[in-house]
Amino acid sequence: MAALRQIAFYGKGGIGKSTTSQNTLAALAEMGQKILIVGCDPKADSTRLILHAKAQDTVLSLAAEAGSVEDLELEDVMKVGYRDIRCVESGGPEPGVGCAGRGVITSINFLEENGAYDGADYVSYDVLGDVVCGGFAMPIRENKAQEIYIVMSGEMMAMYAANNISKGVLKYANSGGVRLGGLVCNERQTDKELELAEALAGMLGTKLIHFVPRDNIVQHAELRRMTVLEYAPESQQAEEYRQLAQKIHANAGNGTIPTPITMDQLEDLLMDFGIMKKEDESVIGKAAHVA
Amino acid sequence: MSATAEARVNGAELIEEVLKAYPEKSAKRRAKHLGVHEEGKSDCDVKSNIKSLPGVMTIRGCAYAGSKGVVWGPIKDMIHISHGPVGCGQYSWASRRNYYIGTTGIDTFGTMQFTSDFQEKDIVFGGDKKLEKIIDEIQDLFPLNKGISIQSECPIGLIGDDIEAVAKKKSKEFEGKTIVPVRCEGFRGVSQSLGHHIANDAIRDFVFDKTDPEKNAFTATPYDVAIIGDYNIGGDAWSSRILLEEMGLRVIAQWSGDGSIAELENTPKAKLNILHCYRSMNYISRHMEEKYGIPWVEYNFFGPSKIEESLRKIASFFDDSIKEKTEAVIAKYKKLTDDVIAKYKPRLQGKKVMLFVGGLRPRHVIGAYEDLGMEVVGTGYEFGHNDDYQRTTHYVKDGTLIYDDVTGYEFEKFVEAVQPDLVGSGIKEKYVFQKMGVPFRQMHSWDYSGPYHGYDGFAIFARDMDMAINSPVWKLTKAPWAK
Amino acid sequence: MSQSAEKVLDHFELFREPEYKEMFANKKENFEYAVPLEEMKSQVEYAKTWEYREKNFNREALTVNPAKACQPLGAVFAAVGFESTLPFVHGSQGCVAYYRSHFSRHFKEPTSCVSSSMTEDAAVFGGLNNMVDGLANSYSLYKPKMIAVSTTCMAEVIGDDLNAFIKTSKEKGSIPAEYDVPFAHTPAFVGSHITGYDNALRGVLTHFWDGKAGTTEPMVRKPNDSINFIGGFDGYVVGNNREVKRILNEFGVDYTMLCDPSDVWDTPTDGEFRMYDGGTTLEDAANALHAKGTIVMQSICAEKTAAFIEEHGQEVARLHHPVGVAGTDEFLMAVSKLTGKPIPESLTKERGRLVDAIADSSAHIHGKKFALYGDPDLMLGLTAFLLELGAEPVHVLSTNGDADWAAKVQALFDASPFGKNCHVYAKKDLWHMRSLLFTEPVDFLIGNTYGKYLDRDTGTPLIRIGFPIFDRHHKHRYPVWGYQGAMNVLVTILDKIFDVMDADTNGIATTDYSFDIIR
Repeated sequence: MAALRQIAFYGKGGIGKSTTSQNTLAALAEMGQKILIVGCDPKADSTRLILHAKAQDTVLSLAAEAGSVEDLELEDVMKVGYRDIRCVESGGPEPGVGCAGRGVITSINFLEENGAYDGADYVSYDVLGDVVCGGFAMPIRENKAQEIYIVMSGEMMAMYAANNISKGVLKYANSGGVRLGGLVCNERQTDKELELAEALAGMLGTKLIHFVPRDNIVQHAELRRMTVLEYAPESQQAEEYRQLAQKIHANAGNGTIPTPITMDQLEDLLMDFGIMKKEDESVIGKAAHVA
Repeated sequence: MSATAEARVNGAELIEEVLKAYPEKSAKRRAKHLGVHEEGKSDCDVKSNIKSLPGVMTIRGCAYAGSKGVVWGPIKDMIHISHGPVGCGQYSWASRRNYYIGTTGIDTFGTMQFTSDFQEKDIVFGGDKKLEKIIDEIQDLFPLNKGISIQSECPIGLIGDDIEAVAKKKSKEFEGKTIVPVRCEGFRGVSQSLGHHIANDAIRDFVFDKTDPEKNAFTATPYDVAIIGDYNIGGDAWSSRILLEEMGLRVIAQWSGDGSIAELENTPKAKLNILHCYRSMNYISRHMEEKYGIPWVEYNFFGPSKIEESLRKIASFFDDSIKEKTEAVIAKYKKLTDDVIAKYKPRLQGKKVMLFVGGLRPRHVIGAYEDLGMEVVGTGYEFGHNDDYQRTTHYVKDGTLIYDDVTGYEFEKFVEAVQPDLVGSGIKEKYVFQKMGVPFRQMHSWDYSGPYHGYDGFAIFARDMDMAINSPVWKLTKAPWAK
Repeated sequence: MSQSAEKVLDHFELFREPEYKEMFANKKENFEYAVPLEEMKSQVEYAKTWEYREKNFNREALTVNPAKACQPLGAVFAAVGFESTLPFVHGSQGCVAYYRSHFSRHFKEPTSCVSSSMTEDAAVFGGLNNMVDGLANSYSLYKPKMIAVSTTCMAEVIGDDLNAFIKTSKEKGSIPAEYDVPFAHTPAFVGSHITGYDNALRGVLTHFWDGKAGTTEPMVRKPNDSINFIGGFDGYVVGNNREVKRILNEFGVDYTMLCDPSDVWDTPTDGEFRMYDGGTTLEDAANALHAKGTIVMQSICAEKTAAFIEEHGQEVARLHHPVGVAGTDEFLMAVSKLTGKPIPESLTKERGRLVDAIADSSAHIHGKKFALYGDPDLMLGLTAFLLELGAEPVHVLSTNGDADWAAKVQALFDASPFGKNCHVYAKKDLWHMRSLLFTEPVDFLIGNTYGKYLDRDTGTPLIRIGFPIFDRHHKHRYPVWGYQGAMNVLVTILDKIFDVMDADTNGIATTDYSFDIIR
């Protein structure tokens, strides 16, 4: 058995992170890899395309019902979906209460202690948005994910998040050995998007692993709660995900220690590509003038 | 060189020596907290109320300890929920000796540990719903409680629970019941001190401001005073109260040792607030002065010299009848204190003491030692502020070693070098010094004795210091065959 | 005035004097606005009823007077048991002040432990800097051979990563790269102090056996003839560990005691403060991997550690705080089985003496009803012993015992005719116990110091066995394990029985016909 490969997908909310990760993992499964997905987003939507179902029983909701996480069995929380991909959702509180970050720690500890990773070739963590607190950094601690893939696009906030996530990776890179695997750009059809993504990757000391073109077939598949790989295996889009999967598969051990950039550098980059206009300093802080 | 000037030089050298053990950065920071008092200076020339260094073995506690353990905990007819994981409430359960009279578990709750015993799910999903249920269950099982306080432990602030909203909702549901949310999470501030302040503010906001002043039928008199900042350790507030009553004053409230919520509620009707522990309750005293125009006066009931001075100072706020009675009180206890001094002074004369305590004691007890012919050669505060050190200058002699937020290492080295006859500090320090063969008294809990306040207390204080210093055990520490 | 220099009255007597009694009455009458006496009394009576008991047992959220503490306390206990080891708790500093006080109140000994003193800024930015500076300060000031790190709930909620933080601290030069810093995450909102002990001990073994957090090659096990002994979180550790060493020496086996605070919590008063004394050497901790097997004296308390050791190829004997004849038999037979050495004649003789003592005294214990509470392993050991003595452990309660534990206690009941009317209560507290004692009274209560409130309220005499014992001195110096230990437990129980008997028969001309001088 090959060594367990652990990867994680991070990215700004709404960027298509879960869609990209599930399609990619479906393609990896197609290549014969045994996959375990650990959803680390309180919304619990990291596995719906694989399971054709929304919001399965999450580790934390079941633990809350049972009293404590020690009272749970692995079978209670692990579901099997498309191509035998095993899926677990961490779950978490409603927005605005409790501590979702701690929930991620709780869930991952539970899975490790109960042997959830046994027999898997790949464990993939799908993590909410940004690295907002220590809990959401759990998947990048030592002996967890070896490579982080950041899903982004040519939009300013997505790139800002990508840079922030790089900072999180850097924090743990020296002590723990986590590496940045690369960027995955989900096309939003902004200006010079490919070039911009490549430029950002260069500045962050990584590479653009794949540029996933926009295609409505993704939405069609989503409506059916399926991956494109399953819904339209012959499509060009499925082929894109297969390429991405192969690149990730071949990328083992090639991750880098990221070199996050300053806000100024990021703004300069965006201005160079015309995403951001130069600020007119004279208007800052001035209220609207009503004639 | 005079004796005290020499002590200053020795002290400075000692500090320099001790600091050598630290990494450079830390030595620099600790240096500011260590000093030797120089006569005539306005404070003790040490920095205070600053974060403790990590990893140095500070003696300090946390804001929760300051609020639940010190200010709120002793209020006997309320239930104080240690809100969060089980530990904080467990370790502080009944360990502070705030004596009270009442039927525990029925109408008083002082020596009980009420906890929300947070589990992982409460952290992840938030604990507000559990808190609501806890309050319901308290009402059901302990219906005679007069109020509830919610003492926040670290996680509450970190996970963003809205305990204020829960308190408000439940207070309404239970017909205006006093339910006090206290944001005393342990990571706030640098010591217990911020917890005192937060607790004082909570009394202001949730007791004074939310209580109908007519709630308790109350007839005021011109002689109404409140004891502020006495936690009745071993009965301290009682042996103080009895003197105030003998002076002709009417003590309408005790804050907070053996205190009840009604006493807190009625305090704005006092004519004078008399403040023992300045550090932990100056905030509410100042507030009552501003809002209700009640003057406050600090006093010291340790040892006859300070008691006498304090009684007269308190009496000065009242008419001649009180002043006369005060003189009578002083005269009445004269024989007792003379007898105590006659008995114990010869056994304690010239003995050197080093202190390290919290609150007011690093300065307040000095007079009592001096009444017995003893000398305090080193002192420091666990969580004092600059105003404490300013007040300390009136008490300490030139050349006294001063150590703020002393670390385990420093304290051990200081005692080793100074070789005092007695160390007064806490339970964590007690056995360290006893092993070294140095007599020790716990000066937080009175080493399970007390009271030490007032004239009655002074006799006990003198007996205890004698017992510690002159115990035959200290002659046994070296085996006769040891070289 | 009652006070005098000649006979100084302190709180015990002073406040019973008339001037104070009058003052208390006035205070209550005029200022406390207390609950009317009748109302108070009726609640006192109501709280004794079955109806109240049912309400009490229906509690879902509130805990009142629990018999458990939090994880880091156990982690500190475990750390203290290693040679020159400084426990370092990452998080708020107040917690460490509490752990140190708690242990000092029980053992009447100093307990050295440091905190990383995290404050509000660390809550927001994480506690890395506190770890970096803290390790440097601890290392310079206290010169430990090892620093064992655990966490408070604050660090756990914000998700600080100990492994990464310790490595970063080493990179920044706080401590040498090869310096031993085992660690364990010990969230206070999971389990109790026994869980913390387990996590911390496993952390130490993981560190030495599995390659020091990836910095060296994992050790390879080369089995030898020695055994390991793990006592667990134990308030009698001073007496017990010494007794166990004596027993193992009688056997003539090579052994390593994993976690042995029996010296550091029992240092002499001879003019010198020993911050460190005795303890398992770091070398022994590492070499413990090669042992044939491990005796785990409290296996609920060391569940994960036991599993970890088993995974490394050792045989593990899992016991539950054995007390008494059969319990000690099981312990000795486990040692014999692991080592292949026969049980020495000297110990067999000790066994006979214990049986002799039980035979002499059993008439006074037989049929007596007991309520007991405490840590789950201790409850199993004491329940078995009481049944062995012919006593009835009517209520057995543990705040940190779970359903699995309860099933084990039930199995003990089921195996004995004396267990017939006995019940086990998992995850309950001392306020539940109060209801049990009122509704289904027993003759004696066994528990820690906090049981004195139950004794006072319900009139059930308390026999102090457990942790913490704050209000009696030196109990921790006497073993409760081995035949000698069981003898101590027996005598402790008997003393209370006889004291109560005497107190109950000393009414002059009313009951003192039974005030016998021979019992």
